Amino acid sequence: MTSTTLPILLLLGGFVLQLLLARWLTPVGKGVLATAVVFASFLASLTLVPASMAGVAAEAMLLPGWDGPLSIGLRVDGLSVLFMVMGTGIGAAILLFSVRYMEHEEQGTTRFYAIMLVFIAGLLLLAGAADMLGAYMAWEVIGLCSYSLVGFWYKQKAATDGARKVLVITHLAGYGFLVGLVLVYARAGTLAWTDPAVASAFTSGVAALFIVAAMAKSVMFPLHTWIPEAMNAPTPVSALLHSACYVKAGVYLIARMYVVGGGQWHEAMGTPLLAVGCVTILVGVIFAMAQTDLKRLLAFHTVSQLGYIVVGLALGTDLGLAAGLFYCLSHALFKGTLFMCAGAIQHATGTRDLRDLGGLASAMPGTAKVWIIAAASIAGVPLTNGFVAKWLLFSAALDKGLLVVVLVGWIGSILTAFSFLKATVNAFYGVPSKALLGRPVHEASPSMLTGMGSMAGLCLLFGVAPQLLMLPIVAPAVRSLGFDWAVEMSWLGILTDRGTIAVTVGGGVVLASAMLGLLVYRLAQAPAPGLVSVYSGGEPLPAGDRPGAVDFAEMAETAFHPVYSLDPDPGYLRIWRALTRVAGAAQTAAGAVLEDRPLLPIGLVAIAALAGVWLV
Amino acid sequence: MDTVLIPLFLGIALGVGLYAGAIPQGDRSWWRFAAATVALAVAARLAGHSWTATLLASAAELVAVGMVWSGGTDAARAAARKYLTAVVLATLCTWAALALTGLGTLRPGAPWDKLAVALLLIGVALKLGLVPVYFWLPAVARASSAMTTALIVAVVDVGAFCELLTLRETAPWIFTGFAPLWIGLAVLSLLGAALLALAQRALKPMLAFSSIDDMGYLLLGLVIGGADGMAGAWFGILGHALGKIVLFGAVGAAEWHLGRAVTLDDRGLSTPLPVASAAFMLGALGFIGIPPTLGFIGHWRLYLAGAELGGPLLLTVLYASSAMALLCYVRVIHRVWLGPAAAGPAVGTGGQPLPRVAAAVLLVFAVAPVLFGLAPNRLRPTLDPHPHVAELTGPLVANPLGGVK
Repeated sequence: MTSTTLPILLLLGGFVLQLLLARWLTPVGKGVLATAVVFASFLASLTLVPASMAGVAAEAMLLPGWDGPLSIGLRVDGLSVLFMVMGTGIGAAILLFSVRYMEHEEQGTTRFYAIMLVFIAGLLLLAGAADMLGAYMAWEVIGLCSYSLVGFWYKQKAATDGARKVLVITHLAGYGFLVGLVLVYARAGTLAWTDPAVASAFTSGVAALFIVAAMAKSVMFPLHTWIPEAMNAPTPVSALLHSACYVKAGVYLIARMYVVGGGQWHEAMGTPLLAVGCVTILVGVIFAMAQTDLKRLLAFHTVSQLGYIVVGLALGTDLGLAAGLFYCLSHALFKGTLFMCAGAIQHATGTRDLRDLGGLASAMPGTAKVWIIAAASIAGVPLTNGFVAKWLLFSAALDKGLLVVVLVGWIGSILTAFSFLKATVNAFYGVPSKALLGRPVHEASPSMLTGMGSMAGLCLLFGVAPQLLMLPIVAPAVRSLGFDWAVEMSWLGILTDRGTIAVTVGGGVVLASAMLGLLVYRLAQAPAPGLVSVYSGGEPLPAGDRPGAVDFAEMAETAFHPVYSLDPDPGYLRIWRALTRVAGAAQTAAGAVLEDRPLLPIGLVAIAALAGVWLV
Repeated sequence: MDTVLIPLFLGIALGVGLYAGAIPQGDRSWWRFAAATVALAVAARLAGHSWTATLLASAAELVAVGMVWSGGTDAARAAARKYLTAVVLATLCTWAALALTGLGTLRPGAPWDKLAVALLLIGVALKLGLVPVYFWLPAVARASSAMTTALIVAVVDVGAFCELLTLRETAPWIFTGFAPLWIGLAVLSLLGAALLALAQRALKPMLAFSSIDDMGYLLLGLVIGGADGMAGAWFGILGHALGKIVLFGAVGAAEWHLGRAVTLDDRGLSTPLPVASAAFMLGALGFIGIPPTLGFIGHWRLYLAGAELGGPLLLTVLYASSAMALLCYVRVIHRVWLGPAAAGPAVGTGGQPLPRVAAAVLLVFAVAPVLFGLAPNRLRPTLDPHPHVAELTGPLVANPLGGVK
């Protein structure tokens, strides 16, 4: 065992312990064990940071002589370390949250914690795999774990339907990865990411296949439709799936392709990928605005946020990669936090329907604070890591002269803010809904608050001092992909070199506009409460109502209504129905001709074989 | 000695025996036929590549017909007749082909070489139940107990396929010289059977079509040959054997529980049968070729062999077949096993719990492909070929019949 393999082996050891000690441990004990194991793995991952900062790629064998000449080995570079630290760090916080969240689960906690550990181990193996075959195996292991966890409550139809959709969409697209690596191996005779022979075999077609696989995992339009259906899983699963372990696998694959031939794929595939990312930003957020289920709302925001990350990676510059990878880490923090908050709300109220919530800030003040920090972060409010991520991304796009990308990102950000204002107001403020009346609503337990609070704290810390993340984690990752690190960044994420003037002026204009709006709002005479003297055919209209966040969200929903017809699911359903119809017709014909009259096919085969051997 | 297949067959015999002891698969005659089938298949492997082995393998096939016949119902007897037709014709064709080629040791002069290949093609298609001469396998699956079909697929058919693997080494001209025919047969099977599997409502015939689909894959690897094709076919056939025992075993457990055949109309069987459900899922994932199962070790190489021979076109065919297989198995898992349970078994001896021994057998056979997938080298055949094969694969010499030896 080496320090390189230690993070993975710790997790696998934890998996074995979960199985061995299942009979003796309580659900809380299993949760504590899993948390401790993942935290230990996190610490072990951190020990790899110095080497990655020094530009060293640590190599180790995990399964030497696995299959003939093929071995499963690790080559841990800066990009690997970034994903390993993210997976284990976020995983530890989520598992800490799970300890109390899952304590009342009557059965299946061993299965839950065991698969969670393999899930995280799968991400680590994917990130550290020295070659494409190891990466593909990890890719599928992650997929299987996700399938099992989404279908955790396998006796509920909604849960199993969600799991089915996850498996079908991601696996069918995932064959792209397999077919791509097979084509590479057929041409190059090796699959090592860094082998020059692989670079010459890695054509645009292969890159396109990899990207299709990545699109399904990373919920890019139109392969994103599985994610809202996966929300019927336990909240820790949703949190891990959305923040660190599943959707980020596709991000990893896209980033990793840059080590092949100096990112030669980007020339042909960069622009299409950029377009997919931009469309995904908008489609995700527009669909999110129409949701009333808190977890579905967060799920569609994952779609949108992943669009930002992929756009950053698709820019193909050091600044773009820095933005994409920083965004990836930031998203893991704030989205994990938001999901845990949603879980805490559901745990406390028994519902996650925004129409049945309200006024929770008084009963759950800690959760409300954590939620607001994370919501501010996803909306890109300054002092949070979300702001730094967006700032970097816009800078990178401007640096490349892509104003359209900035415009799309900006519209997406505004809609994200509206969406989260709506969710925040509906969940935490106003009066409690009728559904909550008489129901004792309790604050999340200390361990749950610690789990989500620690991540919210990091959202603020990396918003104020992003260098803490940039220099030891993001910079080595960008360098490991073959780019020079020339990003100068100060406190609050303000760039001090390229893109500085454009973004700073832009930011200044936005800030001035906001201040002006606030000034107008303050100076204006607030309407006095009372009745408006307009005959409405019934009760007089109340005065004093001003448009709020919810109204804006509803206005946007109305305005964007045509976008909702972009749902690809009906198309998939038509394909499935056509396939089953063809299969039914084939069975009818085959039953009558081939099964009921055996001599007929035998005769046909005999004639065909005899004719064939003379023709060949 | 064959250090992989013989232990595999014996392991399957032990597992099926324990399973059948807990969940009856037939009367005393079934036990006799089943034991004889496995014994003859093992003996054929012990005999190596020879006429003795060919005779023993054919005898195993004929005895397997008895296993089907022992079901006693009209449907079983009808299925047995169909199976017998296929076995007799396949045996005649294969024997004739082997006689013409001296067990693959020589290539007769034209037109006898072409005739030999045509006969072998027909014989193999009938033996393995390939499309379009698959008529016997779904019929057997519908009319027989689960483990009857499992034994036929996992022992008799696997033995026949491994014999074909040996022939691929001793007489490569049979395959390389007539590759388009073999590839056409393989593609027809893997696409046609995958499509027909999607149309099935009963699980046992669905599994039968899935076997045919998989055989198409394996045949493709065998025909393409080379290190990747042969290794793909080898690991694939081992995964096939283990997977089919699990899948048929799980469906047999569900039949035992319900007291009738299992169809897509059944729901939520994972609630009363969690072990069988888990076993079916693991078996299905292995069969589809998802890592880290043994099925993946075979499948990715078969993809590789397909890429080397047919490029993107053949890869697309393989992809289409894999996609249909995935959709088929996922539909079964989610309609029949997972989800809310139905109100209760409708008829017969319904509601019986899965006996522990049967559950243990299913678990062992479900976990084995995962463990072997992590350590596939354990299943590699010995480096030295069988003495018979070594003798046969020597340099070519002049053949007095007009061909080459």
